[in-house]
This record gives sequence, structure tokens and C-alpha cells, in this order.
Amino acid sequence: MIELKTIQKKFGDKTILHDISAVMQEGKCNLIIGASGSGKTVLMKCIVGLFEVDSGEVLYEKKSFTKMNNEERKQLRQQIGMLFQGSALFDSMTVEQNVMFPLNMFTNWRLPQKQKKVNEVLERVNLKDTNKKFPAELSGGMKKRVGIARAIVLNPKYLFCDEPNSGLDPLTSLLIDKLIKEITIEYNITTVINTHDMNSVMEIGDYILYMYEGYRQWEGSNKDIIYSKDEKLNEFIFASEFLKDAKQIRMIEDKEISNKK
Amino acid sequence: MHIFSAFGQYILMLKNMFSKPENWKMYWKEYMVQCVSIGIGSFSIVAIISVFMGAVSAVQTAYQITSPLIPKTTIAQVVRDTVILEFSPTLISIVLAGVVGSKIASELGNMRVSEQIDALEIMGINTTSYLIFPKIVGSLTVIPLLVIISTVLGIWGGRFVTILSGITTAEIFDAGLLNSFNPYNIFVALCKAYVFAFIISSIPSYHGYYVKGGALEIGKAGTKSVVVSCIMILLADYIIAALLL
Repeated sequence: MIELKTIQKKFGDKTILHDISAVMQEGKCNLIIGASGSGKTVLMKCIVGLFEVDSGEVLYEKKSFTKMNNEERKQLRQQIGMLFQGSALFDSMTVEQNVMFPLNMFTNWRLPQKQKKVNEVLERVNLKDTNKKFPAELSGGMKKRVGIARAIVLNPKYLFCDEPNSGLDPLTSLLIDKLIKEITIEYNITTVINTHDMNSVMEIGDYILYMYEGYRQWEGSNKDIIYSKDEKLNEFIFASEFLKDAKQIRMIEDKEISNKK
Repeated sequence: MHIFSAFGQYILMLKNMFSKPENWKMYWKEYMVQCVSIGIGSFSIVAIISVFMGAVSAVQTAYQITSPLIPKTTIAQVVRDTVILEFSPTLISIVLAGVVGSKIASELGNMRVSEQIDALEIMGINTTSYLIFPKIVGSLTVIPLLVIISTVLGIWGGRFVTILSGITTAEIFDAGLLNSFNPYNIFVALCKAYVFAFIISSIPSYHGYYVKGGALEIGKAGTKSVVVSCIMILLADYIIAALLL
């Protein structure tokens, strides 16, 4: 479980995060959503420790990350996997070398054992026969899969995904969402996803934190979001007329079903 | 004010490099990669510059010695001492600041912009230690070797040209080389080589590691690192000469 307690972050005089508190549920897909510039990425970087918070605390299993020394942080980070927006694969390494990198760094396994594990995770993310390819030879979706494979190769407890669907077509986005959801359940990982993709919100959002201009505006699940009365959230989620209509239809349908019951 | 904060950040970066490696094997591998990249990658340009530098130095010294009272062995002495004391360590280091320095800055800058450094941090790797330390140690290993090779090739270039153009004979040139040779000059040259190697690797590492922005900023960081490295090399050259000679 990851707990955020009144996190505040400033850059110069500008406050980006205003007292954000939340609890990221264990073994679930936790989504941080919000418009561009709402502070989602800053919040995620604060949670993983790429940015130091100005005040407040990030607790991993009730242990404060803020108060940990470098060695403790190193230990914790070996339990964290992260998928970056641009995948952040090492350009000069092949797919296999990219995925094997954490194993080379943190295990004393022999090469056949490492290769077996790499093939296993690559197969898990539906990537076959790409071991010897370089990132430049892969499509956007494939890069994301390699990023996921690298993030889960050490069997992490926590998985962070920064906009996993950015730059992908709707079908590939759905496949990536499905993959993340499956991996979360299969490996019992606490997953935190930063997104503004509405398909992701509806499909995999077990817990959703909606950010608005650096404030925690709303929280709930993908089931609650349809019935939310929060104006700012509704403006964000159902931005187009099409989605507004879809919401109305869904609410009518749900009402009819409950009346029949 | 910015210069002081930048200097402080540079010192902190150097301090953070010293931590227990996560895996000695991986660090050793990275060190060897850097040694090969800096050494083999720069060898041809160092060799070409060194030979011509020695040759030009010999021809121009001979041109300036017009008095019949000055022995021809003086040409070899001048070539030897200028190449050992100044041309090989300083000129080659300035060239390497361009070749190696810009490569280091752009490599790290690209890694920063494409979040590869963040990815390493998230894995629990000390990135200054894993990415910068092997570059600095690799430079400290290879650049003094390149300077020694450059010295040999520079003197050989001078000898080759003086004999080829009939300025003097091989015997006279060789006699001049051995005449009043001071081995202390080699020590001074190596001192310079080590200091310059540190400058060539650490300053571009700093500029690349802390780059912010995109492709344009990576280019700017590369240029800035070369300019700052060259100025620091010349400043250090003067200080070492003033202290040791």
C-alpha cells in the first residue's frame, strides 16, 4: 500500500501540488488523472522519489520514503518498476539487453537463468522474436511492452506507468491497458498509472484520483465516476458532446435495469 | 551568482559519485567500454595531429635558426621539449575536449532528456556513480597514455621531416634528442595529462547530466562543455607551469 499524506511541492514561488492525500490500493490499478498541467507527473515523480516533496510524506507499507536514507531508498527502489512516457529504453542495447539490465545489476544469476527469465517476461508481454532488435527498430506499442517487461523482470511490488497510452492508437492502447491490468492481478502488484486516456479510466481504474490545478479534486472508482456530481470532473471526463450523450444513455440504462430488478 | 551555484552542483555531483557500486562487474564493464570508446575512438585523430605538430615544429624551428653558431642539434632539443611540455599534453587535450567532451555531454544529455537516467534512478542505481565515475576513471587511464603516444609520434614526425627535407641528418637529430634531456619534463607532462583528463571528462559530464529541455539544449550543453573545458585546460596549464617549472 502506498499512502500520500498532505504532499506539497513547489517550483520557485509556484505551488504545483497542494496538500495531496491519497491511499493507493494494494494489488489494484490506481489511476491519477487530470488535464495537462494539473500536476499528475509531478505527483508521480514525488511518489517514486525523483522529486523531493517540500512537505508531507509518502509512505510505502507505512514506512516514510521521505525519511529513508540512501541505502533504504535503494532497497525500496529495487521493488519498484516504472514504465516511462517515452519508454526510456537504452538506445544502444538490444531488447534482450534492456530487459536483462536489472538482472545483471541486481542478481548473481548465471546467463542461462537470466535468459530464461527474459524470455519469460517478453513472452508475457506478447513479444516474441524481438530479442536481438534495437529500440529504434520497434513500434511505439512494442517499446511500451519492452518497457513493461523491463519494469516487471525483478518481480516488483509496485509498478508505476507514466501515460502508458500516449502516442498509441486506440486499439494498441486497449491492449496495453489490458496487459497492465493482467500483470497487476497476476503478480499482485500495486500499480499507479498516470493518464488522461478515458478508455483507461473506464477499463482499469480500480481507484481514481482526479487532480485539478494541483489539488485533489475527486477520488473514487470507475463505477462511481459515471454518477459523480463533481462539475470539474464531469467537464474533464465527458468533454465532448458524444461522451455527454453516452453518459446520459448509460445512466438511463442503469436506471431501467435497477427498476426491472 | 549562477557560477557559484553551478560550481556547488558540480562538486556535489563529484561527491555523489563515491558510493558502493551496486554490482562491481557492471561497473568494470562500463569502465572498459569507456576506455575503449575514449582510447580507440580518439587514437587516429591524436596520431595525425601529433605527427604534423612535431613536423611543423621542426620545420619552423629550423627556419628560425639562421645563425651558423647554433648547432643543428638544437632543432631536435626544441622539438623534444615543446612537444613533451606543451604540444602533446595541452594541444591534444584541447582536441580531446572537443572529441571526447562533446560526446560525453551529448550522450548524458540525451539520456537525461529521454528519461533513461530517471529509469536508472528508479531501479535504485546511483546514476552519478554508474554513468560518470567510469567516464572519469576511463579518461584518467587512457588520456595520459594518448599523451605519451602523442609525444612519441610528435618527436618522430619532427625527426622524419627534418631528415626527409635534408635539414639535418638522423645522427645529428638523435644526438640532439639525447642532449641535456631532463626527465622531470616527462613528470610535468604527465601531471598536466592527468589534470586535463579530469577536466575533459568531469566538465562535460556535469553539463550533460544536468541538461534540461530537448535536442537544442543537448547541442548547447555540448558546445558549452567544450568551451568551458578548453578555458579550464588553459588555466590549469598556466597554473601547473607556474608551480612546477
